[in-house]
Amino acid sequence: MVPNPAVWQIPTGVRDVLPKEAQRRRCLEESLCGLFASWGYREIIPPSLEYYEQLKSSSAEEQLYKLIDPSGRILALRPDLTTPIARMVATHLSNDPLPIRLYYFGNAFRYEVTQAGRQREFHQAGVELIGAAGTGADAEAIALAVEAITLAGVADFQVGIGQVALTHGLLENAGVPQHLVKEFKWLMARKDYVALENRMSQLGLPRERTQEILEILSLRGGLEVLLEARALVRTPAMLRAIEDLEAVYQALEALGLAKAVFFDFSILRDLDYYTGIVFEGYAAGLGYPICGGGRYDRLLGKFGLDVPAVGFALGVDRLMQVLPSMDEEKIDVLIIGGSLPERLVEANRLRQQGLAVEVDILELSREEAMRYMTGKQIGQLIELGEVGEDA
Amino acid sequence: MPSNLLTIALPKGKLGAEAVALLGQAGLPTEGLETDSRQLLFDYPQEGYRYIICRPTDIPVYVDHGAAALGVVGKDTIEEAEPDVFELVDLKFGFCRFVVALPEAEAQAIMVDGKPDLRKLNHKRVASKFPRVAEKYFTSLGMQVEVIKLHGNIELAPRVGLAEMIVDIVSTGRTLKENQLVAVSDIFSATARLIANRVAYRMEYHRLEPLIQRLKQVVGNGG
Repeated sequence: MVPNPAVWQIPTGVRDVLPKEAQRRRCLEESLCGLFASWGYREIIPPSLEYYEQLKSSSAEEQLYKLIDPSGRILALRPDLTTPIARMVATHLSNDPLPIRLYYFGNAFRYEVTQAGRQREFHQAGVELIGAAGTGADAEAIALAVEAITLAGVADFQVGIGQVALTHGLLENAGVPQHLVKEFKWLMARKDYVALENRMSQLGLPRERTQEILEILSLRGGLEVLLEARALVRTPAMLRAIEDLEAVYQALEALGLAKAVFFDFSILRDLDYYTGIVFEGYAAGLGYPICGGGRYDRLLGKFGLDVPAVGFALGVDRLMQVLPSMDEEKIDVLIIGGSLPERLVEANRLRQQGLAVEVDILELSREEAMRYMTGKQIGQLIELGEVGEDA
Repeated sequence: MPSNLLTIALPKGKLGAEAVALLGQAGLPTEGLETDSRQLLFDYPQEGYRYIICRPTDIPVYVDHGAAALGVVGKDTIEEAEPDVFELVDLKFGFCRFVVALPEAEAQAIMVDGKPDLRKLNHKRVASKFPRVAEKYFTSLGMQVEVIKLHGNIELAPRVGLAEMIVDIVSTGRTLKENQLVAVSDIFSATARLIANRVAYRMEYHRLEPLIQRLKQVVGNGG
């Protein structure tokens, strides 16, 4: 194809956000800001670029956009905001009393090849609750995620909760060798139970253990599945993991949020990153999750501050896909006529009353102003002094 | 889009016909459902189902994006497309093997102690409808090959000098024989699978799970 010089193209995976869409997004972000602040969270703004070395441990190398700075060091665009925030907390906020509650809005960049519903530049809104282990923090993160999705206006959604410690325990207990754990978790995350069963019998692992794993992975529902899971777990650590989930559920129930969540032990999220509870938000009619999060107790330790943490991120672009469209905000008044200083003064007077006011800066005639107004949906025309009529 | 209908993506052709038979046995509505007609949408509002008929290679796309909650597709297509979907049930029909095949004379030439030594094919050209599978396989052997993507009739390529070898799926092996080709290596075997969209599976769990169990039963009973 001959390139068309009259069309300005943009790279694959980035998006133009025009005023109507931008207004919707701003509205959404403002209401989320209010929510996060009311739960005691403070905003934090990490840089877009970091040293590649510091990002590569928590991201797949081939997904990072890399650049070279003038001194020859390799930089990368942030693939998420959690890793830069972990670095910031470890370097700047390590003397703050724990827990530290932070929220953020920002774009992140990942070189994705074919994943459905994912742009290469995407927008996230999220929270990090740093320095608290235990069910209180887990419950707070999930409750806040449910509140955020509700506040955003998603009509029909569910949050699924898993626990990777349980999955680890199951595999360990079944005797899956350490170097194969990753492969097994990948099969679990895809619900490829056919391959899972085949691999386990190939390795000569006990059949009962295989059945237990398959049974736990197929559980899905409310409190009742935790009871069923109790009967299947064998180690004290796994039992504790289930008791913790019960405590989280009770907290959510007290908040009236239990109906919005379910347990599903095949939810594993990022395979190596999370260390405890994990969760994903799903909206009806959208093929990919709108929210994801969990406990990541090892990340801050990589930056020298060995404290636990839990958090989540909402996919702002994905949320926008399921939210109803909004009417564009109207301009209340257009001022024409008089002299420019007169128009400016009158405009300011009206703005102080809370109106959105446009000032004519093109010396429009009344007819021109009327035409302009219909195109722009401006509510009212105010005419100062004498205005020249079209001849 | 009628959101109350459960959408299932079915492939055109033979695989689709077998899928329809299986769905029927599992108690789903299939009256008038055809995978080879011009009609691409079949709605059963009474029972709450919608079927869409797609090219086999498009099925993972519809399911990955959530346009269909479930899909029936060959493992071969899944391996090539690598979609982010749940692979729930081995439906056990549509058996085929992925093989590396060469013209008979060349197959003889790479034999060492009665076994083919693929390393002799390093830097050769391989024609395939499944470039990703081919690439991955040879990479796993530490080999480099030039993969040439074709859309059909792969067996023609070695005969006219487009490629030295092919990677293709075979079920009976007849096509290979007719074109004087010999399979020298099995990559893996494939059957049809039931796949599900990640979100639909979790949001529509109570509607999907009984259906999945019925399909498992039918397959398990040799259906």
